[in-house]
Amino acid sequence: MEDPDNSAQKPAATAGSRKSGVLKLPLANRCGPNKQGRTNDESNKNPAKSRSIRQSLWYALYFPQLSELSESQQTQILTELAGLAENVSATVSFHSQALVCEIRSTLRYFDGIDNINSKLQSLIVPALQNRSLGDSFLYAASPTVSGSLLLARSGHNALVYQKENLRSALGKLSVDVLDLQKEQRRRLHSMGVRKIRDIWRLPTEGLHKRFGSNFVNSLSKAIGKSPEPTRNYIPSPEFSASYDLPNEVENLHYLLPIIDEILIKLRDFLIQRDLSISRLRLSMIHEKRSRTEIDIGLRQATRQGDHLLLLIETHFAQLVVPAPVVGLELEARQFDAFLSESDTLLTEKQVGHVSKINSKNLDQFMEQLHARLGDDALKSINTVAEHCPEYATQQLNYTDKKAEISAAGVATNPRPFWLLYAPIQLTLRGSKLYHREAITLISGPERIETYWWSGQDILRDYYIARDQNGSRLWVFRERRGKRNWFLHGYFS
Amino acid sequence: MAILRDSVTQPGANIGKAFNDIACNSRETPRTRVNQLLHSNPNLWRGCDMAGQGFHGVATGYRELDDILPGRGWPRSGLIEVIARHSGMGELQLLIPLMQSVIKQGKWILWVAPPYLLNAPALTQAGIDIDQILIVKQDTACKDALWSMEKAMQTENCGLVLAWQNWLPGKVLRRLQLAAEAGDTLAILFKRNDSKYSPSSLRLQIKPSATGNRDFSRAEVTVIKARGNFRPLSAQFSLYPESLSA
Repeated sequence: MEDPDNSAQKPAATAGSRKSGVLKLPLANRCGPNKQGRTNDESNKNPAKSRSIRQSLWYALYFPQLSELSESQQTQILTELAGLAENVSATVSFHSQALVCEIRSTLRYFDGIDNINSKLQSLIVPALQNRSLGDSFLYAASPTVSGSLLLARSGHNALVYQKENLRSALGKLSVDVLDLQKEQRRRLHSMGVRKIRDIWRLPTEGLHKRFGSNFVNSLSKAIGKSPEPTRNYIPSPEFSASYDLPNEVENLHYLLPIIDEILIKLRDFLIQRDLSISRLRLSMIHEKRSRTEIDIGLRQATRQGDHLLLLIETHFAQLVVPAPVVGLELEARQFDAFLSESDTLLTEKQVGHVSKINSKNLDQFMEQLHARLGDDALKSINTVAEHCPEYATQQLNYTDKKAEISAAGVATNPRPFWLLYAPIQLTLRGSKLYHREAITLISGPERIETYWWSGQDILRDYYIARDQNGSRLWVFRERRGKRNWFLHGYFS
Repeated sequence: MAILRDSVTQPGANIGKAFNDIACNSRETPRTRVNQLLHSNPNLWRGCDMAGQGFHGVATGYRELDDILPGRGWPRSGLIEVIARHSGMGELQLLIPLMQSVIKQGKWILWVAPPYLLNAPALTQAGIDIDQILIVKQDTACKDALWSMEKAMQTENCGLVLAWQNWLPGKVLRRLQLAAEAGDTLAILFKRNDSKYSPSSLRLQIKPSATGNRDFSRAEVTVIKARGNFRPLSAQFSLYPESLSA
């Protein structure tokens, strides 16, 4: 085993026999019964060995067509394919343009590698075709992850059951299958190395020196001499819970205790996975009617059940169901990483330090407000560098605020707190202005001329005025047309 | 100290006694001594003198108004009704110093369904950070407006809620008052008319100053009702800084 030459010769001696270490995997649609028998034969031959050292068997799927795609597309496709590969294996790991699944543990369940192979073919080929990525992939299986990958990359479709045979099987491969840099490849070539076997004949120290330890490590991983950590596929979490009510319920508030119970389940689910939730959907099932659905989106992901319950309660206050409710379903639509908040140890007020709006409380308030009044209920204001008073204030939905470039300079002349939505024309009787009461001008004018370039130019003289009641007004006179007077605001 | 404790239970009977005691000791400044003694106990209520109530309020920014308010300032929490018959009486200007202090504490101000467009440059001129101003849209139904007020008051970091509602029954006002007290928040309700009965902790009326009708900046503020106050008091003062009064 330790002698490279010896072990390299081993498979050659047994090649072609039924117990050979290297087999050609059958094509997906041709799986002969005799080959299944061989699999069983194989596992029967070495019962002690497979029991003592539970060797794993790694099935590598290599997709050379992915190399043309961008990194993010590759990840996306591999994640999708990994989800399919989960059908045959519990452990699926990601590699460059390849997936590797552990199949030893499922070999008995599927009754042989041929079935696994055909199952994977039937799952993955349609998925590839959907994305118009051809209809084939390369595959191989061996007791090590890197070994399987190398075999798959070489396009051999090989199956190696025993670790001892792996070395010789890999040895036959060209060095091109190794994931090397151009310079390393050139150097290997100039050293006369054509096959991996040739590398094994070289002294390890020299290899370390010339190609670095990564190179040597990757080779020793391939023959199972070093451990191979892998990045495994973890399926995205899913949560949905349903509850069938024992009787029909019309008053939605009777549902709250049940929802609370489901939310407790959700909270446990989130805690176990260290997640928090940012979107969920509550569906109320009616008999003979389509279900009523409430979508709840959170500005900040949470795992607090009582906050969610409060939001649902707020929704219920406005909701009218078309028919009595017979069932409930809660479905988590989007998860988020959990971020814990830390409170200050000492609750003393930070003097001098002006904190901005505490976003957490505000978010909760806003979610409630949105749930009841609609998404555009809460506004914030901003100043705009504009001479025209009605354009100097910008009212935006609070949620849009983030992208805003803040505060422009403002006028130095006095401005009223209130502006009318549209200026009201004042009546002029004799030389007196009237708006319900007589108006006296106090100060002014302040001339505002702008928008001359748009054709809708604004030519106004603004005055501060006061009416008989004592209201302080902001009035202006048009400087064109009929030179009418308008009331535009209140100095409240 | 024993005298003072008595005076809390029976103020009328014992103040005179205390006065006599002190007057016997030093005849020169009996009145000041009494005042000093009485000032030292915040539990003692002296109906005639608001200044004697200690300084537990939030300064209004107007000295004349502080003088007529119990606690020398706005209450810390509760509902304040501001009655102005017409817009433009200076009802917002009256609250500007309060808003400034709320903003300085890092809290936000919610304007629930204001009657007109809020003019951002004016707020900036008044020294209010508009980032901390939130507005519930104008065409909100009364029921929803009240609901938002109550929710906002329950929310931590909401420093001030402003609302414009004219006809609210006492029951609703009471609910708002309780919510404000529970949330430790101030709520300001702007109204056109005074109501006979109201559970709010402070009721103010703002009118243009009777003298000098042409004077832009002066206003008369009447405290119709305040907790800890026994008769209406009013003060006239200038609301706007000099630059504005033209």
